[in-house]
Amino acid sequence: MLEIRELTVHYGLHEALHGVSLEVAPGEIVVVLGANGAGKSTLLKATMGMVRPTHGHVLLDGLDLTSLIRRRLTHQVVEQGLVLVPERGGTFTDLTVQENLTLGAFPRRARARERELLAFALELFPRLKERLHQRVGTMSGGEQRMVAVARALLSAPRFLLLDEPTLGLAPVLAKQLLRVLPKIAAEGIGVLLVEQNAHLSLSVAQRGAVLSNGHLVHAASATELRDDPMVRAAYLGSD
Amino acid sequence: MSSLLDALVTGLVYGGVYALLALGLTLQYGVARILNLAYGDFLIAAAVFATLLYQRYQVSPLVSLALVAPLSFLVHLLVYHLVFVQLERRSGSWRAMEASSILLAFGLSFVVSGAMLAVFGGKLFSYSYLLVPVRILGSVVPANRLLAFVLALVFGGLAYLLLVRTRIGTAIRAIAVDPDGAPLAGIDVRRWAGLTFAFGRVICAAGGVLISMFQTFNVPMGVAFTLKALVVVIMGGAGNAVGALLAGLILGVTESFVARYVSPGLTLAAVYALFVLAVLTMRTGILGKALR
Repeated sequence: MLEIRELTVHYGLHEALHGVSLEVAPGEIVVVLGANGAGKSTLLKATMGMVRPTHGHVLLDGLDLTSLIRRRLTHQVVEQGLVLVPERGGTFTDLTVQENLTLGAFPRRARARERELLAFALELFPRLKERLHQRVGTMSGGEQRMVAVARALLSAPRFLLLDEPTLGLAPVLAKQLLRVLPKIAAEGIGVLLVEQNAHLSLSVAQRGAVLSNGHLVHAASATELRDDPMVRAAYLGSD
Repeated sequence: MSSLLDALVTGLVYGGVYALLALGLTLQYGVARILNLAYGDFLIAAAVFATLLYQRYQVSPLVSLALVAPLSFLVHLLVYHLVFVQLERRSGSWRAMEASSILLAFGLSFVVSGAMLAVFGGKLFSYSYLLVPVRILGSVVPANRLLAFVLALVFGGLAYLLLVRTRIGTAIRAIAVDPDGAPLAGIDVRRWAGLTFAFGRVICAAGGVLISMFQTFNVPMGVAFTLKALVVVIMGGAGNAVGALLAGLILGVTESFVARYVSPGLTLAAVYALFVLAVLTMRTGILGKALR
């Protein structure tokens, strides 16, 4: 279980995140919806220890990661089994696909299962199999997202955090990418996704929450959120 | 004809050593973000160490090499964590440190060369090791130079394979291209940057011992070695190992030709000229690529 408790983040005097609490169970997909600047990226970055939270705790299967996070020891958070695919990032663009995947398994905890996880990642993204020796920077946006997710999987995560993975992708590619998440969750990996694309992300998630101005304003099952008039108006357009 | 060949072979021998020196400097700059202006002075320190051991105790420079490598690794791991990491904390960020580290290394250069000048003055060091002629390509080369050249290529080649073929080497290159993204791959940037900094110094010290085997040197020459290594790094493209090898060979051959056909006094001027040319004409080095 990934437990985020009362997480608060300040950038200078500005409060970017206000006491956000959220839980993700193993094998579950949870989506956090929100507009630009609502604090979605900040929530994920604070959970990974990339920005220092002012208050709050993060627990991973009962183990308190807060002291690692407050010291911004992101590499040790990864070593504990949390991994983040950042917005538009998560790859080393100057290195090849193969080298990126090798580095995915850099954490010690990932080494023993490297072969198995590599096979799993290439099964999810068969296109990468033919591109192993290509430099990631020369690939299309959609392919780069695949490399980023595959690299994250190679670190043998217990929970996978994704920051707007479909941003900038054509609708078909976005759909293809998110369709992979249930297969990842089926392996017992919990997925925490932040998205602006509500329609698509609610179709793969079991639960969702809405973040607005740094506050978690609404949490419900994905079906309920899909039917919620407020969510429909704000994130699903008129359809 | 034979003098042309002599100049070429001498140039290639020096060039091989320059390439090795540049590899150490480019690793330190590319991964630890420290432009190490004290590089040549630490090189001279290693050269003096090997010379004294040979002159006083007849210790082979190959043994000195085995002694000096782990020693400089440990010393510079300490220097990194005690000096540069503190500097990073005070600078507030990884990038702000890059600027202040240049000044710190510049100061360190004065401390190291000043301490050596106080002890040895400007006295010239040299010793005769393996001074036997070897015929190669119709040119006669002293065996010590040939050994230095071969060792330089072997060390450089090993370092290159380590960077390209191993997971740790790949992680080190990842830090060079994206220090902010590396922690997300579980890479402890500070730890590996420190180890790479120390490893760069091992290469530097090895270069110093190799140079002491065949060249007369004194303490004030440290700056010239820093400069040559910098020129090779810039010509080869920062962080590019193959580029460094090519650029090193070009620099060595240029020096040797200028010394033979123009004037020995102008070799350093030729280095400067190449430096200016490289800075003015190339943005990414002769191979135009980042570390691969």
